[in-house]
Amino acid sequence: MSARDDDVYIVGAARTAFGRYDGEDNELAEQAVRAALDDAGIIWSDVQFAVGGTNGETKPDNLVSRLGLTGLPFVTVKNGCATGGVALMTARNGLIADAADIACVVGYDNHARGAFNASPTRYGIGDWFGQTGMMVTTSYFALKIQRYLHDHGIDPRTLGYASEKAFAYASHHPYAWRRTPVSVDEAMDADMINDPLTRFMFCSPDAGAVSLVLARGRRAFDMCDRPVRLASVALRGRRPGSFEVFSTWLSPGERTSPSIDAARAAFAAAGITPADVQVAQLQDTESGAEIIHLAETGLVEHGAQTAAYENGDFSITGRLPVNTDGGLLANGEPVGASGLRQVHEVVRQLQGRADGQQVPGAPSIGFTHVYGAPGISACTVLMAEGE
Amino acid sequence: MTVQVVDETLFHSLDPVLLRGSACASCGAHVFPAMGSCPMCTGTDVADVALPAEGRVWSWTTQHFEPKPPFRTDSFAPFSIGYVDLGPVIVEGWLVGRTQWTIGEPVRLVLAHAWTEGDASIHTFAFESAGAAR
Ligand SMILES: [Zn+2]
Repeated sequence: MSARDDDVYIVGAARTAFGRYDGEDNELAEQAVRAALDDAGIIWSDVQFAVGGTNGETKPDNLVSRLGLTGLPFVTVKNGCATGGVALMTARNGLIADAADIACVVGYDNHARGAFNASPTRYGIGDWFGQTGMMVTTSYFALKIQRYLHDHGIDPRTLGYASEKAFAYASHHPYAWRRTPVSVDEAMDADMINDPLTRFMFCSPDAGAVSLVLARGRRAFDMCDRPVRLASVALRGRRPGSFEVFSTWLSPGERTSPSIDAARAAFAAAGITPADVQVAQLQDTESGAEIIHLAETGLVEHGAQTAAYENGDFSITGRLPVNTDGGLLANGEPVGASGLRQVHEVVRQLQGRADGQQVPGAPSIGFTHVYGAPGISACTVLMAEGE
Repeated sequence: MTVQVVDETLFHSLDPVLLRGSACASCGAHVFPAMGSCPMCTGTDVADVALPAEGRVWSWTTQHFEPKPPFRTDSFAPFSIGYVDLGPVIVEGWLVGRTQWTIGEPVRLVLAHAWTEGDASIHTFAFESAGAAR
């Protein structure tokens, strides 16, 4: 296949280990960028367009003070849990719009311990919502999966299956944070955080950075033996009927989801169907989110999740390996880095050089999905191709 | 001890206790708390309404850890919150009286003590059981 000018490829990928980090945020980001540049075999002055994402207080565009004052345009994005997907889309669009050849994307964060402490006023809600203890992300996830399990007659034990799978994958992955296997029983019997979700069913905020190098058209094949084509990237916001974090009310009508819309758009733009996917990454902020997103993205039918876990469909030798690096559950969530971690993992799988367990059979089609507040989702389709 | 509410704009009336939402003249959507525009159809012809005081548990969870500030409490104990289907709108609020609930069970609106401030008892809206599940 010959590369077209507006095809964009990932030609370099690197991540730091995720977990606790004592240094500066920008130092962490710099490590990832330099490793991604090395992976692509280029130096910073080769980069023509850059995008950085973080949910913290630092300014990604100030990374140039560490990397080099080359004068390049550097866009900053801040879209919560979807930051990585938005950063990637912005870089892709930047390459095409500017007819530039090489872009660098970096996402990072270094969060304090514990659940995120959201401010009601930042979300346009009165103080009463926080004062009465409803401004809590964990309760949102619990309320959403509680209803979802009810609507689709799903056994709550499926939550334990998702946790067990995540930590099993992570036990093989050198950069994951929580690498101790957890059994289904341990997950189900652990301390309850918000019914029906226990301690082993939530990810925690932590630190980490991921960087990708993108190249446009022919140039990608000069730089990389196995470039991975960014076949599509789609970003969607919420429509009426979606169930989002910090909602004081919901409409009683049909439920919608930005994940459904973004996944459909990504598959359509790539010219494939969910059944074509051979390795996937889904936003698993908690175990319930993976169960919901398996169906919202179209990878599995609503209600069919339990049997699919029991059948091993999502394990490394299964029909559709999902979150092969342990996902958010085992990597934690440095918000700005998390979406790019997903892409990094799928790229490495498609290149046959996974850091952890390698999906057998040389998979060539991958999918990633991020979802976050205040109701946005970004999905990508990634394809390994020869020339 | 005087009783005050956490935010008066949430209420249509306190006796009887009724929540104040808004209804859209264009599409009929109800929202809570009241807003000056309609997020469902983007219309601006909206009016305040009293929401129904009885409904059914649409989803629920129990908060087992103490939320960070600005959460206020006299002394923390696990408490339930839920979404209650009031018919025209599903509203999030406390579920009081126990910590295990069933989707679909009937509940009714009440005021519940949230925290003490000086000699005032600050109340918020909540839902209590109104009988057995259907
Ligand atoms: Zn309307």
